[in-house]
Amino acid sequence: MPFRNFILFSNIQSFEIALGIVPPSENQGLAEKLILPLVAKGDETAMKRCIDSYGPLVWSIVCRRISERVDAEETCQEIFTEVWRVAGRFDSKVSKESTFIGMIARRRSIDWQRKQNRLPALANLDSLPELSTPSTNNLHSIDRSELWNILKDLPSDTLNLFSLHFEKGLTHDEIARQTKLPIGTVKTKLRRGLIEARKLLKEFNHGRGVAK
Amino acid sequence: MSMEKTLARFEELDAGRVLGDLTSEETSEWQILVTDIEDIHSIELELLATELELKHVQPCDLSSSLSNKLADTIPAFSNKNINQPAAQIISILPWLGWAAAACLIIFFNLPTGDDIQKISAELSQANAELSDNEKTITDLQSVKQELAELNEKLSGELTTELGKIEALNTQIAKLTEKLPLLQKFESLIQDEPATKRLEFASASDPYIGLSGEVIWNDEKQEGYMSLKNLAVNDPTKNQYQLWIVDPERDELPVDGGVFDITEKDGKSIIPIRNALAINKPVAFVITLEQPGGVVKSKQEVVVALAKS
Repeated sequence: MPFRNFILFSNIQSFEIALGIVPPSENQGLAEKLILPLVAKGDETAMKRCIDSYGPLVWSIVCRRISERVDAEETCQEIFTEVWRVAGRFDSKVSKESTFIGMIARRRSIDWQRKQNRLPALANLDSLPELSTPSTNNLHSIDRSELWNILKDLPSDTLNLFSLHFEKGLTHDEIARQTKLPIGTVKTKLRRGLIEARKLLKEFNHGRGVAK
Repeated sequence: MSMEKTLARFEELDAGRVLGDLTSEETSEWQILVTDIEDIHSIELELLATELELKHVQPCDLSSSLSNKLADTIPAFSNKNINQPAAQIISILPWLGWAAAACLIIFFNLPTGDDIQKISAELSQANAELSDNEKTITDLQSVKQELAELNEKLSGELTTELGKIEALNTQIAKLTEKLPLLQKFESLIQDEPATKRLEFASASDPYIGLSGEVIWNDEKQEGYMSLKNLAVNDPTKNQYQLWIVDPERDELPVDGGVFDITEKDGKSIIPIRNALAINKPVAFVITLEQPGGVVKSKQEVVVALAKS
């Protein structure tokens, strides 16, 4: 057996995922593996584990929107401070841990961009009491590839805009330049596309009988 | 606007918020709507957008500097002074005091926790600045004291130096005054070979130590005395008078003029003011006489004598 194909697995779960015994999704009913509840309980080692596990993901999200290294690092620190503050509001029935943390990273990065453009910052998570409200879309149980599959029923131009925005990380201005569409059209299509995507997801969940 | 339209509008704005493209006006509108129709607001759109984005995000390794920064932040998370995580289980009793404080905050519009932290930080900064200012004032007072002492010292030295300068100026003035006489004295010696030079010697005890000389030129009828260590006289009480002994002219000494000694130290040059022509002087005698001199000296006080 060639040595280059020999992989070391850090734990049995990784080994199982590699063999296809379990899918590589999070929150496989392994509540004890979740970090945020431990962070919320004040476990001093949990925050280090949280940074070790999600730091690379947060960093990637931040770097999509912030090119200045110093600003990006500062935002990254702010994100983990916010994660620590709102960890108690994470609900594994609503979303995956990575989605929850990714959402905070995304929101902070967008706020940084808005600040650069002298636009008012949006509300932080403290002012969103519905954060733990059970979602009707049950994103926690849907694989990300599966999600994009569900959205294939969206109009092709909307899917194209989604691809440019979510996949390639282009700004609205960049999308408008590339597609030759007016900026207002790009904004409207993306907004309505997102609302439409939520409907499709709801219908999908309804169809497979996921609890609401 | 009907409820249906309001909801649709809110939904669109919320999608804009999630996509990060709200304008200032739209942000204000969203903030109003989110307060009015709080019940319908959820994070579904935001989670959905995050899921869509995360599908294409490839986690990348943290740089060592960022890892260090985040590691440095971790101790702060265990700091009990910072806001506690929302789901932390806590005992109610210790918080009763805080509840009372919260009531006070609400009723009297007192600062909140965040405000207190901010105020505390500002207070600390103000204290630090105050401390720095006090130190600066102390330093300035010390410097001021040093400057006052230095000023006093320099003033004393300046007075002394000014006194010295004044003395030197006086000396220079006197020398300047003497200079023409000194030049004439030297010229009479250098330029006139026929000039006689005779040394003075003290003639009585009080004048021991006196020295000097007298020079005289018959042809020019001009002569000078150079005297050192001759006592200063009081012109209101007595004056020195020079007598010239010229046997060929007269048996009696001829009056050479009255003069005063005004300086204790230094050399005095005194011109000879002979009332009569002198031909071949053999001696010069200085006596102490009454103010204005006398026609004929009784030679009661003979001060000095120079003879050939």
